[in-house]
Amino acid sequence: MEQSFQYFLIPFLSWEMMLLIWAGVFAGIWVGAIPGLSVTMAASLLISFTFSWDLNHALALICGVFVGGVYGGSITAILLNIPGAPAAIATGIEGYPLAQLGEAGKAIGLCTTVSVFASFVGILALSVAAPVIANFSLKFSPRDFFLLAVMGILLIGSIGGGDPVKGVAAGAVGVLLSMVGMDPSTGELRYTFGNIHLMAGISFVTAMIGLFGVSEALTQFRNAGKKSPKQNLDRIIPSWATFVKYLPLSIRSSLLGVFIGALPGTGGDVAALLAYDQAKRTVRNPSRPFGTGAYEGIVAPETANKGAIGGAFIPMLTLGIPGDAVTAIIIGALYIHGLKPGPMLMIETPHLFWMIVSCLSIASVALMVLGLVSVKPFAKIIEIPKEIIMPVVIILSVIGTYAIQNSVVDIFYMIGFGILGYFMRLYGYATGPMVLGLILGPMLDANYRRAMQGAENQLLPFLEGFVTNPISLFLTLSIVFLVFSQTKVYRRWRGFE
Amino acid sequence: MKKRAAILVSVLLVLSIAGAAMAAYPEKSIQGLIQWGAGGGTDNFARAVTPLVEKILGQTIILQNRPGASGAVATTMVVNGAADGYTLLYGAENPANYRVLDLSPLSFHDLDPVVIAVEGAVVICANPETPYNTMDEFVEAAKGEKKIRMATSGVGGLPYVAGAMMKNIHGTEFNYIQFDGDGPGATAVMGGHADVMPLALSTSVEYIKAGRLKGLAVLTTKRVPQLPDVPAITEIYPEYAQYLPWGPFYGVFAKKGTPADVLATLSDAFTKAMEDERFEEFVKNSGGFKNGATGTEAVSYLEKFESTASWLIYNAGGAKKSPAEFNIPEPK
Repeated sequence: MEQSFQYFLIPFLSWEMMLLIWAGVFAGIWVGAIPGLSVTMAASLLISFTFSWDLNHALALICGVFVGGVYGGSITAILLNIPGAPAAIATGIEGYPLAQLGEAGKAIGLCTTVSVFASFVGILALSVAAPVIANFSLKFSPRDFFLLAVMGILLIGSIGGGDPVKGVAAGAVGVLLSMVGMDPSTGELRYTFGNIHLMAGISFVTAMIGLFGVSEALTQFRNAGKKSPKQNLDRIIPSWATFVKYLPLSIRSSLLGVFIGALPGTGGDVAALLAYDQAKRTVRNPSRPFGTGAYEGIVAPETANKGAIGGAFIPMLTLGIPGDAVTAIIIGALYIHGLKPGPMLMIETPHLFWMIVSCLSIASVALMVLGLVSVKPFAKIIEIPKEIIMPVVIILSVIGTYAIQNSVVDIFYMIGFGILGYFMRLYGYATGPMVLGLILGPMLDANYRRAMQGAENQLLPFLEGFVTNPISLFLTLSIVFLVFSQTKVYRRWRGFE
Repeated sequence: MKKRAAILVSVLLVLSIAGAAMAAYPEKSIQGLIQWGAGGGTDNFARAVTPLVEKILGQTIILQNRPGASGAVATTMVVNGAADGYTLLYGAENPANYRVLDLSPLSFHDLDPVVIAVEGAVVICANPETPYNTMDEFVEAAKGEKKIRMATSGVGGLPYVAGAMMKNIHGTEFNYIQFDGDGPGATAVMGGHADVMPLALSTSVEYIKAGRLKGLAVLTTKRVPQLPDVPAITEIYPEYAQYLPWGPFYGVFAKKGTPADVLATLSDAFTKAMEDERFEEFVKNSGGFKNGATGTEAVSYLEKFESTASWLIYNAGGAKKSPAEFNIPEPK
């Protein structure tokens, strides 16, 4: 115990590490805010960049960028309706209407506060319950990941805008596009027409930048010349009473985030979407109706994606299994720096665990300070005339897309999706479901087939699994409930109508 | 402001292109395309060795991950580029099987090896709760009524080929479940969602030491120092010797037809970098072995691997085209 505390203090005793964490958070906020520049990309660049550094310093910087980057993605979602990363898609649904009402400052302030809270929930879970959560996450079978994906698909109802038919149509096209490329199980080529670029599939990040970034910019050109809403920046930091009011929701969503983050291969994006959906279904009296600027709809996804940070470290530090894309890269960094990530990591190098816990804690404090300080300058971005800011958005979208893998083909994809998104918006199709389809399509496809293969392609044993395995049963019942909760009978009974 | 920047960038571009036409290699920065995603084995190898090579060459190597289609995307990009040594492929064994799997018409024959840097061994791993504790018991169980669930990384991947070896020798059939790679497959075996998986030593060694996985045998002719208690397969079944040595490897490649002096400069730089203490440490920790073959030695290494793997895949029924179509000789 005493020793753990000593390890925990390592970053506090080194001014270089402190500086690196703060610098990392600051840089992360900007990286996260620019569509296309992602934390994953920043982390993998930093690994080459910090090769000759001391490992502690490298980790301090990466932890800072991780925390800052997840937060940064939400800022542009609120201000411009352009999520910087998939984990911020849900935030924009409520955040952007708020910015239009002149409440961007309040929204970002609340987002910052609950984010820091959730980040600490994640860190706490990591430091007290890591082995338990990690072992539990191993129990998730392909069938359960399939069920999670199904749950995600149901979100189309939440983020699909007004017309459910249009939402489903956009989602279905997204799933269809996600099938392009190599079959995950047999390597068979699907919809590639012999083209090597199609063989690599369509990246959902590229699609997201086009569907949210460029299409939003094109749509905004229709409003050129109109005055932007005046922002009220008097009360940025939410009052204690407000914080307490959202506390139960914050706790619930951040724990959901921790858990989804801890599942191998799923991260903040899925967590945030599920949390938003969960809030929409369970919050009885939102501050405004969902979809028009409900603060609950910001609190839930923001706490979930920050909780997922600590969550993603859980299987990584206890078992050497990455919880998401960023921790996968950190595992690589540990190898390069001469460590052996795996179940023995905590035993052989216990200082690493507590040092990361400590770096994440410092990064969260830095986020609080840097986040609140920059609310005012950030909120000013909205007041910049559209005809100036939107071309900048388009330029950043192009740069961001190219930066993903230095591919010009991706830029064409991105612009194509941008134009498609523009027409979708024009005709009342939300773009969110399409991105959702692209994210969840492969998860549905691969896991369904794994589950089926596990049951030797026999339908009966496959179906049996849904009721005999406790985790699958729980998830199946949740889905049944999710569907049932949309029926009139239920809503009348709970007093929603 | 923007216009001025644009002019500056274009001037720099023109200058750098003009400059590249003369002077000794390497005159400008080199592009390094990594066949697999960030955080994977190929990526780790690339990022560990490159900073050391940069120092020796005195030029930057700009690393980019270009995953997709089992690495065929990056391979195609390198082959489509110029054979001037300014575009390198950091890759694994996959191009050996592209043709029989019909993923791409390319193969190692379209590349010049700079170095075969690191090779690994494959360990047959099982979930600790499975009833078999030795390779013998495992083979017996596999011949039984209920098919054992074997995790693979897809048709043609290393686990699949290892499964094909077992099929050839013991006549065992498995229920294959495909995962996104060694890591996710190992996770599934630990969680009990599959029973066994032939895994690269680098992925499995820490799990075996911690008791999360059971190592049944290593597909080598000698025991490996990382796992002294796990028998080499030939101790139990000498007939495996015909396929060995066989296993994963990571190397660096240039387009076929790269000038000999450029290739030699590159090979020397990588060979020297691999002698660095930090690289040795990396290889040891990641459960691999240094190979270091260059030139004709590397070419014959690749040919042997291609022959073993493609015929195994073909005989196991996983190939779309016969290796004979491409004049790949059958292994002796």
